Amino acid sequence: MTDSAPNLRWAYMDHWRIDSPQGYVSQYSSIERLDGFLKQVAALGFEAIETFDFHVPVLIDLFGSLPNARNFMQERGIDRVLSLFFGLMFDDRQTQPHLRSTHDNMVRHAEYIVKSAAGLGVENLIVMPAAQYHAVEPVTDEKLRACAEVWSRIGKMTLDYGIRTVCHHEFYCGIHHLDELRKFYAWSDPRYVFWYCDTAQHTISGVDPVKLYLELHDRCGGFHLKDTHHVDLIGDYRQRPESEVTAKTTQRWFWEMGTPEGLVDFPNLFKALKEYGYRGWISVEHDKADFGGNYPESTAVAAWYIQNVLKKIYR
Amino acid sequence: MNTNIRWGYAFNQWKQGWQGFARVEDHIRAFKATSAAGFRQLELTAFSGPWDPVGRPESIAINFGSVRKFAQQLPDWGIERIASVFLDVRQLSFEDLHFGLLSTQRAQHAAIMAQARLHAESVAEMGGETLVVAPFPHFWKEGALDTGRLQAAADCWNAVGAMTKALGLHTVLHIDALSALRTTQELDQLLALCDASCVNLAFDTAELTIAGHDVVALYRRYHSRVRHFHFKDALATDTLGEYQLPHAERAMFLAGGQRKIQRWFGELGTGLVDFPGLLAAMNEQGYSGLVVVESDGGPTPVMSSVLLNSWYLQRVLKVLPLSA
Repeated sequence: MTDSAPNLRWAYMDHWRIDSPQGYVSQYSSIERLDGFLKQVAALGFEAIETFDFHVPVLIDLFGSLPNARNFMQERGIDRVLSLFFGLMFDDRQTQPHLRSTHDNMVRHAEYIVKSAAGLGVENLIVMPAAQYHAVEPVTDEKLRACAEVWSRIGKMTLDYGIRTVCHHEFYCGIHHLDELRKFYAWSDPRYVFWYCDTAQHTISGVDPVKLYLELHDRCGGFHLKDTHHVDLIGDYRQRPESEVTAKTTQRWFWEMGTPEGLVDFPNLFKALKEYGYRGWISVEHDKADFGGNYPESTAVAAWYIQNVLKKIYR
Repeated sequence: MNTNIRWGYAFNQWKQGWQGFARVEDHIRAFKATSAAGFRQLELTAFSGPWDPVGRPESIAINFGSVRKFAQQLPDWGIERIASVFLDVRQLSFEDLHFGLLSTQRAQHAAIMAQARLHAESVAEMGGETLVVAPFPHFWKEGALDTGRLQAAADCWNAVGAMTKALGLHTVLHIDALSALRTTQELDQLLALCDASCVNLAFDTAELTIAGHDVVALYRRYHSRVRHFHFKDALATDTLGEYQLPHAERAMFLAGGQRKIQRWFGELGTGLVDFPGLLAAMNEQGYSGLVVVESDGGPTPVMSSVLLNSWYLQRVLKVLPLSA
């Protein structure tokens, strides 16, 4: 790689919705809406998107095949679907990482997902490695070992398809406290299980994502860069039915990079990336940016922050 | 890529209603977002009232310290400069004590000059180059122009042009779809009466298309007098002559006229304007100067329009560098 070639490529984790005469709808609801979404993201310099596994059949429906869908994206400047977020329906009967009785089913399900995504250029299967905290607690070592086992199995399998399994720890995930994170990565197979650093989620959990990167940099498979204005000080991670939308601390946990109230130290994170020579994709994620805002504007403000702050530190 | 063209963006679509988008932090956020889309020169719109922190020089001073300090802060937000200001003297102005001025009425020229000078001095202090003006009343209010009123308007804008020239600026006349000036014959007369050293045309692709012109042919005819562009697409043309309707700015534009047109202006490449053809003509004629892309209203979120226009310039016309 030459000095001028960047070390980082930028992707965008997709939560957008679009105002339409039919209401507030998914951009996957028509080719025209997807076209507009892709163009807007590409215009800001993002070269890939990340999306949810349940959008894969929709892409086939819209374009006839996933290679056709990828070609449509590439014509607009988006090279690939970098990552699929594995939309697990946690349930003790079939999908519960801390319950070994569900592991065979989980492996089968994960294999079905990665096989069905062929043609999109997917490199990562993003997973929340445990159910919501209230469904897991008490979080015992035995449960953490069970989680580590199943994701090691799944990670080995997905690598056979050229896809890494990367773990994304929502602040309400059964694995989000620092001691839980340390045990999970100590007990999972480093060849097969990688860490996806979501800067806002860890910060809400009271875990400094920069310090965690220094600890886990050799396990790091990517990033979701987003900010937060709040740390969960009152145990909102236990809030039912869903801590991201019904918590007491705030209605809006997640913010784009570059807001004055943001708590994540992105410059320091990028200094760490530079120190360890991180190379690869970095993703920006805006989750629920439409709570008092909108996705296009949030994405543009984040792009401004990348262009004017982060790239001056490491690119 | 024609490196003599400087691409800017009009800032008029952010203002939703009189009192919306009134906070400084909202403007800073919009500056950053526009910069991220690849547009680092802006055209502001002159505004009346206390609800636009950049709508008037005194508002800028209240919110940023002074016009000069505002200009100095722009690079912090990714904006190189304010290149131009759009002034529509037909709009009421609380501060200038009028309910709309008519360039065709000589008695109103002094008031027009005073308002134009206020904004021109501000543009000059911000390092800009152009004062864009709406040169004629709407047709429904003025009726067809005659020689006397055309001469009066030309005299008005020549005086403004001389004033701006002394400040190092250029005055450009923005003919819109509702203007009393309708025909190329009238445009020929107007340009013959205007001092080419300081008064020329702002060429708005959508407005002229809606008014029934072929903008590529029109540009070829007037290229030597075009000193400024507004790039936006037109989604329909005024085939029913509804520019003549009373209050056409509401009846035709906002209400959609008899056909209930939902949207007249669109993002580049989505409508009737032949932008590749126009750009080719501009390159052939060696156009050098500002091209201000405009959303000019449209559905929310307004940033979508900016990004779609940016994508078109990056990936179709290939005149903006790819964002990276």
